[in-house]
Amino acid sequence: MIQQLILNGIIAGSIYVLVALGFTIIYRTVKFFHFAHGVVFAAGAYFAYTFFILFNTNPLISFLLSVCLASLLGIAIDRFVYYPLRKNNAPNLVYLIASFGVFIFIQNLLQLIFGAQILTLRTGPIKEGHHILGAVITDIQILIIVVSFILFLLTYLFIQKSKIGNAIRAVSDDPIGARVVGIDSEKIILTAFAIGSAMAGVTGILISLETNIEPTMGLNAILKGMIASIIGGIGSIPGAILGGLFLGLAENLGIWKIQAGWKDAIAFGILIIFLLLKPSGITGIKTEKEQI
Amino acid sequence: MAVLQVQNLVKEFDGIKAVDGIAFGVEKNSICALVGPNGSGKTTVFNLISGYLKPQRGKIFFNGKEITSLSPHKIAKLGIGRTFQNIRLFPQISVLDNVMFGFKYERGDKFFSALFQTRRMKQEEKDNLLKAEGILKFVGLIDKKKELAGNLSHGQRKLLELARILALEPELFLLDEPFAGLFPETKRTMLDLIRKLKERGKTILFIEHDMNLVMSLAEKVIVLNYGKKIAEGEPEEVRNNKEVLNAYLGKK
Amino acid sequence: MEYLIHILIITGIYIILTLSLNLIVGFTGLAALGHIAFACIAAYTSSLLALNLGISPWIGLLLGAILAAFLGMVIGLPSLRLKGDYLALATFGLGIIVYSIAKNWVSLTRGPMGLPGIPPFSLLGYEISSVWSYLILVLTFVLITYLAIRNITNSPFGRILKGIREDEIATLAMGKDVNKYKLIVFVVGAFFAGIAGSLYAHYIAFIDPSSFTVMESITVLLMVVFGGMGSLKGSIVGASILVVFPELLRFLGMPSSIAAPLRQMIYGLLLIILMVWRPQGLLGRFKFK
Repeated sequence: MIQQLILNGIIAGSIYVLVALGFTIIYRTVKFFHFAHGVVFAAGAYFAYTFFILFNTNPLISFLLSVCLASLLGIAIDRFVYYPLRKNNAPNLVYLIASFGVFIFIQNLLQLIFGAQILTLRTGPIKEGHHILGAVITDIQILIIVVSFILFLLTYLFIQKSKIGNAIRAVSDDPIGARVVGIDSEKIILTAFAIGSAMAGVTGILISLETNIEPTMGLNAILKGMIASIIGGIGSIPGAILGGLFLGLAENLGIWKIQAGWKDAIAFGILIIFLLLKPSGITGIKTEKEQI
Repeated sequence: MAVLQVQNLVKEFDGIKAVDGIAFGVEKNSICALVGPNGSGKTTVFNLISGYLKPQRGKIFFNGKEITSLSPHKIAKLGIGRTFQNIRLFPQISVLDNVMFGFKYERGDKFFSALFQTRRMKQEEKDNLLKAEGILKFVGLIDKKKELAGNLSHGQRKLLELARILALEPELFLLDEPFAGLFPETKRTMLDLIRKLKERGKTILFIEHDMNLVMSLAEKVIVLNYGKKIAEGEPEEVRNNKEVLNAYLGKK
Repeated sequence: MEYLIHILIITGIYIILTLSLNLIVGFTGLAALGHIAFACIAAYTSSLLALNLGISPWIGLLLGAILAAFLGMVIGLPSLRLKGDYLALATFGLGIIVYSIAKNWVSLTRGPMGLPGIPPFSLLGYEISSVWSYLILVLTFVLITYLAIRNITNSPFGRILKGIREDEIATLAMGKDVNKYKLIVFVVGAFFAGIAGSLYAHYIAFIDPSSFTVMESITVLLMVVFGGMGSLKGSIVGASILVVFPELLRFLGMPSSIAAPLRQMIYGLLLIILMVWRPQGLLGRFKFK
C-alpha cells in the first residue's frame, strides 16, 4: 500500500516538476508569477487533440505542431499583456491579476470551442500496468517520470552552460548590467516564454495521455506547479525538482489516513507554511527585500 | 545629557558587517552630522536607531531608556522622527493629509470613533487641520495644501517630509540627507528651518554629503568609514583629521 | 418582473461583498484574494444552525458574520509579513482550504450534496420569502454596509488605511501600528462578507461548495477593481454592471453552454484591459502600488 502511495507521489511529483520547470524559466526572466502558464499547458493538450483526433494527423507531427503552437501562445501572452505592463512599470501584483485574466479568458475559450466534456487522446484500450516492488505503474507513468527527469537535466544544463542560458541568468540577476554588456532583455524574455511554453505544451500532451482532457485541467497544474516552485525556491531549477517531488510525495502520503479530497488543502497548507516561515524555499533562493 | 546614546552597534548582512561596533552620543538640543563615504553605514545606523533593523549586538538609548528592540512605530511615538533617503511620502494623498498623519489623537483615530463618526473625532480632526495648516505655513508649503503629494517638485517633497514629522512633535529629528538634490534657495530654506528647530529646543542628527553644509550647520560631526566610526568632534578638528582625509581621498 | 427583482437581490448581495473587499484591497492596499471564503463560512454557519438546531436566521446571520470575522483575523495574519503577489497567493490558498473543508467535511456540510431547505428569515411572524420582501431586507443591509464603510474610510482611521496602502514604512515612521490596522480591516471586511453569505443562503435556500469557489473570489476582486479601488460608489456601480450584464446575454437567447463560458471570457478580458489600460477602474482614483 505504502509503496503505491510513494510511487503515486513520484508520478504526481514528476508532473509538478514539469510544470514548475517551464514556469521557473519564465519567472527567472520576468520575476512575476505567470499564472496563465497553466492555460498554455491545457492548450497544448487541446491542440494535440485537434490535430491527432479531429484531423487524424500523424502523431509525431501532431505533437510537434502542438508544442509549437503552445510556444507561440505563450509568446503572444507576453507580447499582448505583459509587455505593455513592463512599459508601465507595473507592480508584481498587477501582472498576477492580468495573468488571472488571461487564464480565465483562454480556459473559457477552450470550453466554448471544445465543450466542457472530457476528451481523450487515447485511441486504443488502456494497457495494464507493470508490477514493480508491490506497486503498479503504467507505461505512460514511466514515460512521465523519465521525461521529467530528462527535461530537468536538459534545462539545468541549458541554464548553466549555454550562451542563452547565461544570458537568462544575467537578465535575471542584474537587468541593467545585462543591458550594459549588450544583452537585449526583451529578446531573452521572448526566448524564455518560447521555451517555457513549449515545455508546458509537452507536459499538457503527456498528461493527457495519462488522464483526460478537460477545460479546467490547467488550474490544478499551475497551482501545484507554482507551489512546487515556491517551496523549492522560486527561480531555481534544482528547486523545481525538489519542490515538485516534495509536494507530490507530501500530498500522496498525506492522504494515507485521510480522504483523497484533502490533497489541495494539504498542498496549500504546505505553501502557506513555507511562505510564512521559509519564503526562500528549500534551496533558499533570496527573494528581493524592500530597501528602507 | 545625551538624548541619544548608541553603544557598540553591530549589524551584519550575509556575513558583511555594515555596522561594526559603532558608538556615539548626541547631546540635547544639538545639531549633529553623520558623514562618511557611500556605503559606510550611515543609513543603516538610522534604520537601527529608528527600529527598522535589529542589531546583532549593541544597545541604543533614548533619554536613558533602551529602545534597541522596539518596533518602528513605538520608537516614533516615543519622540524620534525620521526622514528617508529616498523620500517616502504618500503620493496619492494630498499635501495637507500627508501632514495630518503625524498627529496624535486621543481617541479620534480609533475604529469605533470612525464607525460612529463621534463628535470627539470630528473635533480632534478640526483641531489637527488647523495645526497642519500652521505647519505647512512654517515650511512654506501652505499654498500647495490640496495638491497630491506625488505632484510636488523634489524640493517641495523634501520640505513636506520635514513637515510631516513636525506633526509628530518629536524631540529627536533624524534627517537622512535633507539637502540632497535641492536648489540653493530651497537649501537655504531647509537650513533656516533646522536652525529654527534648534531654537525650539529640538535635537537634530542629520546625514549629509555636502561638507560645506556640514561645516556651517553642525556643532558636532561623526565620521564613519566601512561601518566603523573613525572620528568624532567639532567640524574644524574633524576636517583636518588624517584618517578622515584618507577615507575620502583614498576612495578616489 | 419577479426575475428582475431576483437580479436586484443578487446585485445587492454582490455589492455588499464588493464594498467589504474594497475596504481591504482598495483602501488599505492589501492583495486579498479568497474573499468568498468569509461568505462561505458564514453561509454554512447560519444554514447549519437553522437546519440542525432550529436557530433563528437573524441569530445565524450574526453568528455567521462573527465567525467570518474571526476567520478574517486568521487570514489577515499572513498579511503582516507578506507583500503583493505573495500575499495574493497565500490568501488565495486559504480560500481554497476553506472550500476544501466545505467540500470534504461531509459529516458536517454534506459536501458536494449541499444543504437544501434552508429556512428564510421571519419578522414579527411573517416569513420573508417573497422576492419583494427579501429585496427590502437586502437593500437595508446594503445601506448599512455602505454607511459603515463610508464612515470608516472617511476619518482619521481611514486616512491611516490609505497610508498603509501608499507606504507602510512611512506609516510606521508616523507612529502608527500598521499590523493592528491591517488585522482590523480584515476582520471588518470579513464580517460584512459574512453578512452577504448568510443573506445568500437564506434566499436561495440551498448552498453547496460550488457557490464559493476561487472563481467567485476573483469575480468579486474584478468588481472592486472595475468599479474603482477606494471608491465606494464605484463598488456599487461595478458590482451592478458585472451582475446585470451577463443576464443580458441570457436575454439574447444564448444557451447556457455558450453563455456561461462567454461570461467568464468577458470577465477575463476585462481584468486584462483594466490592468493594462485603466487600473483605477471606472470611478477609482487609486492604483495598486
